[in-house]
Amino acid sequence: MRFIMLMAANPISDATQPRIAKGVRLQLDPATGKTVLLFPEGIVELNETAQEILSRCDGRTLSEIVRDLAEEYDADVAALAADVRETLADLNERKLIELT
Amino acid sequence: MTAPRPYALLAEVTYRCPLHCPYCSNPVALPVAALLGEAPRRPQGGGYSNGELTTDEWKRVIREAAALGVLQIGFSGGEPLARRDLTELVHAAREANLYTNLITSGIGLDDDRVRDLRDAGLDSVQLSFQSDQPDLSDEIAGAHAHRRKLDVASKIRAAEISLSLNFVIHRRNIDRLPQMIELAESLGAERVELANVQFYGWAFLNRAALLPTREQVTRARAIAIAAKARPPRSMEIFYVLPDYYESRPKPCLNGWGQRYLTVNPIGDVLPCPTASSAIPDLHFENVRARNLDWIWRESESFTRFRGTDWMPEPCRSCPQREIDFGGCRCQAALLTGNATNTDPVCEFSPNRAIVDAILRDINSNDAARDWTYRVNPKELAVSS
Ligand SMILES: C[S@@+](CC[C@H](N)C(=O)[O-])C[C@H]1O[C@@H](n2cnc3c(N)ncnc32)[C@H](O)[C@@H]1O
Ligand code: SF4
Ligand code: SF4
Repeated sequence: MRFIMLMAANPISDATQPRIAKGVRLQLDPATGKTVLLFPEGIVELNETAQEILSRCDGRTLSEIVRDLAEEYDADVAALAADVRETLADLNERKLIELT
Repeated sequence: MTAPRPYALLAEVTYRCPLHCPYCSNPVALPVAALLGEAPRRPQGGGYSNGELTTDEWKRVIREAAALGVLQIGFSGGEPLARRDLTELVHAAREANLYTNLITSGIGLDDDRVRDLRDAGLDSVQLSFQSDQPDLSDEIAGAHAHRRKLDVASKIRAAEISLSLNFVIHRRNIDRLPQMIELAESLGAERVELANVQFYGWAFLNRAALLPTREQVTRARAIAIAAKARPPRSMEIFYVLPDYYESRPKPCLNGWGQRYLTVNPIGDVLPCPTASSAIPDLHFENVRARNLDWIWRESESFTRFRGTDWMPEPCRSCPQREIDFGGCRCQAALLTGNATNTDPVCEFSPNRAIVDAILRDINSNDAARDWTYRVNPKELAVSS
């Protein structure tokens, strides 16, 4: 239920394909309508940014995810890219995604 | 107070187990009424004439839990693989959109069953080991189990199911932490849990043989901290502290009746798996008589220690009370005879001397002591 923000150890490259890690499931929590990540003995409730990013972690590269989000939200690409990198680094640190 | 929403259900589907771990937290004996199978507990047919819930009863419990807001289920026991309907129950849990965890010794897991469980949607397996060494492990388990577990681990890997290794740490294996971490890594686990033994059930009975010395605990802590700081590969390491050596209690269950519920093999619904044996004067409801929603929200067993109103001093006026919830009710009951007391592990508890006396006893004479191996509750041992 915590959502700790950690700084990235290494910057994640544009060509990285983030994927949800083995044993981790992304699903809707029917009780709250929010999206959660479920893993052994743990639950993380996602904030909106994390949810939008994770629902696109299906083989797309980092730059594709940023481009798609920028189009959808009409947002500044550079700022968005920094947000996405930070969120992915945090999820990676917690072994909830794999970076390939 | 209004009831919060539970996140996880521990489904203890059987107390039967082929192993005999002296550290087992399962109850040493069950209440007589449960063993005799008084009217409301008797199953309506089905394969479990020993008092265990039937397949259909478990499916109902799973649906009721999901409706209450539960998102995760852990199948445990005893040895959950001793239930032939385990795959069916995993399937039912996935249908209810629950994250499914199998907590197992691995005994009874062959290729077919691994495949069936994976196909049923099993998300993760927590496989327990007794140590990294075959001889020591088998001595602790009271059975030849270690090599079979190694084989089971590779089957789980091959099926691409997420694998955690669980080690219970105590005086006889605590010096082998690095080797246990190495074993988990070599088996390709995603996660390893090194849990210092918690003193409930058989472990409470065997405490004198299991409690590590202060020196051992100090060394182990340094090793765990170093390993966590530099985890090998992509494996996560969890270290559960030996709470008798701490000065503050563990935040047990994140608060009584807040996040978790347990249904035991005969259908009693418990705020925590050890509550039925540790707190015998509390009356626990049974899923055969009541629905889970009422039990969670209204029953005396769940409301008794929910929130902070029940707290005596020193907890009542302590700034930590919403952080550790006064510690563990079962531990208070087992060590002080009263479940309402502050967990005696706490340095502010008027009963801390009880824990200190136990530690003094071990540390002044650390000679090896005998333990009693766990046996199955006689009346629950099926004749199949
Ligand atoms: C009671 S066991 C039942 C499942 C299965 N028979 C097994 O041992 O893996 C559930 C989990 O609790 C752990 N465990 C058992 N007794 C414990 C104790 N006294 N303290 C901490 N963990 C314990 C086991 O290692 C296992 O991971
Ligand atoms: S901890 Fe050991 S004895 Fe207890 S249920 Fe698990 S395998 Fe059986
Ligand atoms: S007095 Fe109670 S609330 Fe305060 S630290 Fe001790 S157990 Fe926790």
